[in-house]
Amino acid sequence: MNVETSTNQSQQSAFMAVMASFWFEFKQNKGALYGLVFISILAFIAIFADFISPYDPIEQYRDALKLPPVWAEGGTWTHIFGTDALGRDQLSRMIYGSRYSFYIGFIVIFFCLTIGIVLGLIAAFNRGFIENMIMRLMDIILAFPSLLMALALVAILGPSLENAMIAIAVVFIPHFVRLTRAQALSELGKDYVSSSKTMGASTFRLMFINVLPNCMPPLIVQATMSFSSAILDAAALGFLGMGAQPPSPEWGTMLADSRQYILSDPWMMGVPGLAILFTVLSINLIGDGLRDALDPKMKTAKS
Amino acid sequence: MFSFLFRRLLVLIPTYIGITLAAFAFIHVIPGDPILVMAGERGLPPEKYAELMHAFGYDQPLWKQYLDYVGQLLQGNFGTSFVTGRPVLDEFFELFPATVELAFFALFFALLIGIPAGIIAAVKRGTFFDHSLMTISLTGFSMPLFWWALLLIVFFSGYLGWTPVSGRISAMFFFDTPTGFMLIDSLLSDEEGAFKSAVMHLILPAVALGTIPMATFARQSRSAMLETLNEDFIKTARAKGLSPFRVTIVHAFRNALIPIVTVIGLSVGVLLGGAILTETIFSWPGIGKWMVDSIFRRDYPVVQGGLILIATIVIMVNLTVDVLYGIIDPRIRKQGH
Repeated sequence: MNVETSTNQSQQSAFMAVMASFWFEFKQNKGALYGLVFISILAFIAIFADFISPYDPIEQYRDALKLPPVWAEGGTWTHIFGTDALGRDQLSRMIYGSRYSFYIGFIVIFFCLTIGIVLGLIAAFNRGFIENMIMRLMDIILAFPSLLMALALVAILGPSLENAMIAIAVVFIPHFVRLTRAQALSELGKDYVSSSKTMGASTFRLMFINVLPNCMPPLIVQATMSFSSAILDAAALGFLGMGAQPPSPEWGTMLADSRQYILSDPWMMGVPGLAILFTVLSINLIGDGLRDALDPKMKTAKS
Repeated sequence: MFSFLFRRLLVLIPTYIGITLAAFAFIHVIPGDPILVMAGERGLPPEKYAELMHAFGYDQPLWKQYLDYVGQLLQGNFGTSFVTGRPVLDEFFELFPATVELAFFALFFALLIGIPAGIIAAVKRGTFFDHSLMTISLTGFSMPLFWWALLLIVFFSGYLGWTPVSGRISAMFFFDTPTGFMLIDSLLSDEEGAFKSAVMHLILPAVALGTIPMATFARQSRSAMLETLNEDFIKTARAKGLSPFRVTIVHAFRNALIPIVTVIGLSVGVLLGGAILTETIFSWPGIGKWMVDSIFRRDYPVVQGGLILIATIVIMVNLTVDVLYGIIDPRIRKQGH
């Protein structure tokens, strides 16, 4: 009993030490910190959208159509970012739209991580036929440009945000499978795996308890980068009319709505585009910081 | 070298079986009966429906349909468009040069700026130039492509009025297009100003499409150069008193080429994917717009055939990149895999 508690404690303090050194490495990277700050603010906005947002995002104010933002000529403080062609308040739509970004990113990387890790580990532990089947299947998915594949899948499933997320996840999974398999294969040759095997550990235990934790650092980085790619791809699908459907205030769909007014009212496309850009940029910066902090070997030759 | 190539080609067979299966499955899992889609709003009498089902072979068992389909593909028959009634392969070859032209100049633009910028950033590491370049390229990397394209249109077409908004050439020109490449065809024609018009139409979409690859190239060539610049043989070359230019370009850059070639190869898939958005926004009549239009029009044979043809391009490019590795780095060729 006593022994167990002390191991627990030492494990806990070891974990704290790892986290502390991780944070120390991470905060060296100024860009990653800025990214983290931006994403934290965005998360706050997304969570408290109901309280922050001045208007309902899909309410149409018929007396204020295509109102320019406050800094442009003719703008008013009642609609800070102006209104769209149907008179909906842009600021409120932006605030609610932030929820979609997190929703898309988290759901997509959840599918990618779970399915990618399981398939990758199965491939690594079953060299030969099963491995070949899995890896060839991934090659087939990778043979199609990802946006085209996602478009075709959404065409099959029917256009909606959920189906767009499924399609994006399918397109991203091969990267996770390849990464997991490659990492697992390099771990499999190591002594700790052989000794665990000698002690009679089951394959399941070897896969998920012994090998997987050591495969995680690059997977976490990949997941972060996929989070931002998922937001970009979902916005692209929304822009093509194959993602979120009106009237949902998803940022890509908002851009699609503004497209016909780009020459007459160009400000309409400014705010949603900038929002996507800063969100994706922040997540990519965080990804860079994570890469440097999690694995010094993978460090992108930074000055 | 040949056994290396042969083995790489052999692996393609199962991949191709998978690709054709995927394209074949597409028509059968998609909601909506293809015959009814073809018939349109008015519908069909039952006997006509059965006749068409038979004519297209949809009444056969699935495995037989698949084998027939592959047999047709092997004979170069990719089906006929529901909408235009023309063979898919003909349409593909008619539109493909437009995409090649666009992608080629996008890639050219990306390489021309991205790689030198990355090299200079690596040599001048830690300077203001380095930091700003990395910030700009990360921004380019995070930009939604379609938004960037719209921004370019707003600024260069709308505000400055320099470039046209869509298409490949002004509608006032009529000439034969023997090669399908508008820049060449406009030069061959006698029309005055046609070449200039073609160039002006090409610039904006090429820049839009090339921006993300450019950012990737700059980042990749910077980090590849930084790695090789630290190697011992670079110190040796410097110690020998070679000029900094020679050390950077001949000694370091050549060894940094492998990761750069990899990224260029990968960017072809990115370019083809990006072409879908770019061509749609600029009404550029290439295969990207063709695929999007066909998906929206439920023109299944075109989607099916197009998927296979586009996958073929991606596979061929990957194969070329693998072969290029062997040429750049003889060590890979000798290992034989």
